[in-house]
Amino acid sequence: MKLRLFYNSAVIATILSYLLIFIGGLVRVSGAGMGCPSWPKCGEGWIPPTNVDINQINTTLAWIEFTNRMFGVILGISIIILNVIAIFYFRKNHTLLFYSILSLIFVVINGLLGGALVWFELNPYIKTAHMLFALVLVSILSYICIKSYKMLNPNIFQGLKNNLILSKSLIFLWILIVIEILLGTGLRTGIELIVIDNPLFSKSDQLDALPYYKYLHSILGFGLLFFSIYINYNLRNHPLLLARQLAYFITGMIVLQIFLGEMMIFFDLPQLTRLFHTWGSSWLVGVIIILYNCIKNE
Amino acid sequence: MNDLNKKLILSFLIVFFLGTVALFTLREATESKIRNLNVVSNVPSFELANFNGDIFTDNNLTNKITILSFVFTSCPDACPIMSQNFSILQERFKDSDLIQFVSITVDPEYDSNDILEAFSEKYSNDSNWYFLRGDINYISTLSEKGFFLSASLLPAGHSTRFVLIDKQKNIRKYYEGTDDAAIMELQNDIVFLVNEKI
Repeated sequence: MKLRLFYNSAVIATILSYLLIFIGGLVRVSGAGMGCPSWPKCGEGWIPPTNVDINQINTTLAWIEFTNRMFGVILGISIIILNVIAIFYFRKNHTLLFYSILSLIFVVINGLLGGALVWFELNPYIKTAHMLFALVLVSILSYICIKSYKMLNPNIFQGLKNNLILSKSLIFLWILIVIEILLGTGLRTGIELIVIDNPLFSKSDQLDALPYYKYLHSILGFGLLFFSIYINYNLRNHPLLLARQLAYFITGMIVLQIFLGEMMIFFDLPQLTRLFHTWGSSWLVGVIIILYNCIKNE
Repeated sequence: MNDLNKKLILSFLIVFFLGTVALFTLREATESKIRNLNVVSNVPSFELANFNGDIFTDNNLTNKITILSFVFTSCPDACPIMSQNFSILQERFKDSDLIQFVSITVDPEYDSNDILEAFSEKYSNDSNWYFLRGDINYISTLSEKGFFLSASLLPAGHSTRFVLIDKQKNIRKYYEGTDDAAIMELQNDIVFLVNEKI
């Protein structure tokens, strides 16, 4: 009962954190990052103004950014609840307690980084750090989810044989995915910096002006696809259906990401494609953590 | 229906829902940016002189995107920053012949043509930036009544705001000329006006 409560609370926090990454992506692609010109207040008050004033802040953008902040607060509360449950009931389970506290630390740091983004007017390095901390946060929460799920359903995971190569491959895949996401964020930052100095550049001018590392993102993307196929192949006879499904999900998601990435270059559908490109790749990060722990016999 | 199919359908519905919300939000964001650039007023008729003696009137604003400010050369605080920001924008938009800059002196008594020319040489890298002067009372009225910018106790009391004027001589928006975030916003709005189809 207590464990189920903890597990449910962890699942809710994880879903909320993915939703927050989606809304954060929406803030970035809609250009609402400075929608609230101050932090933690939004302009003069705690809530953005509703009346339209031509010389004041753009209220639509302010509300988009404000929604992002509100969801951040809701996620923070859900992680505090997770911690309360962990402290009350799982004081002796050091893993659950430790990772719950870690998730709280990371959500607080990322909230402050969100504030720093506004203070430093969307500094590209803080943007990247904000994204990186969000990825680490969903990884920690995903880990708490699978850990408590395994405690809740020990029968499903009984008798599994550890496969060291596969486990190491998954760790390697996780690191590569994070690097790939940071490369993608770097590309976007690169384009933004080019646009600041050359505001009238067309999309092809912008891509031409990017340095050589623009190819690394695509090359690594295809590399990740083959790597995930290799993992799928090794998991094809795994007794756990969930493990096989997660592996399919990873390969499928990488294919979708490559497709969305190419769409951004060759078609003019930038905003929504960008949003799902970022969001989908953040799913990979959490799912790999779940798969890694799924096939591990403890 | 088995469990996996249910999960797949549910996932699809969630993604579809989020995509719809995102699409709506993105459209609203774009429209709000356009709304924020609605016409404030028309530019009034005016006639001033560039430092080289050429007459510059409101007709010179037709078919150009103009960024206009009121400054004076001996101003210690805001004007150097404002002029530096003009300089940065002039450099960034150097490939477009649609964009021009206008600085009107609020201290014509001190700012002679020679001083304005020296000021121009200090900040401007192109011929699309005009430094205008005229009668102080005329300029004061132009600032207050024509461009709705405060002009009490000139020269020190001039406004530090930039005015964005479109190709049809409409005032579209004001920006704090010393604020980096406002300058970025102005830059994005200039791009919008360049691509605006009339």
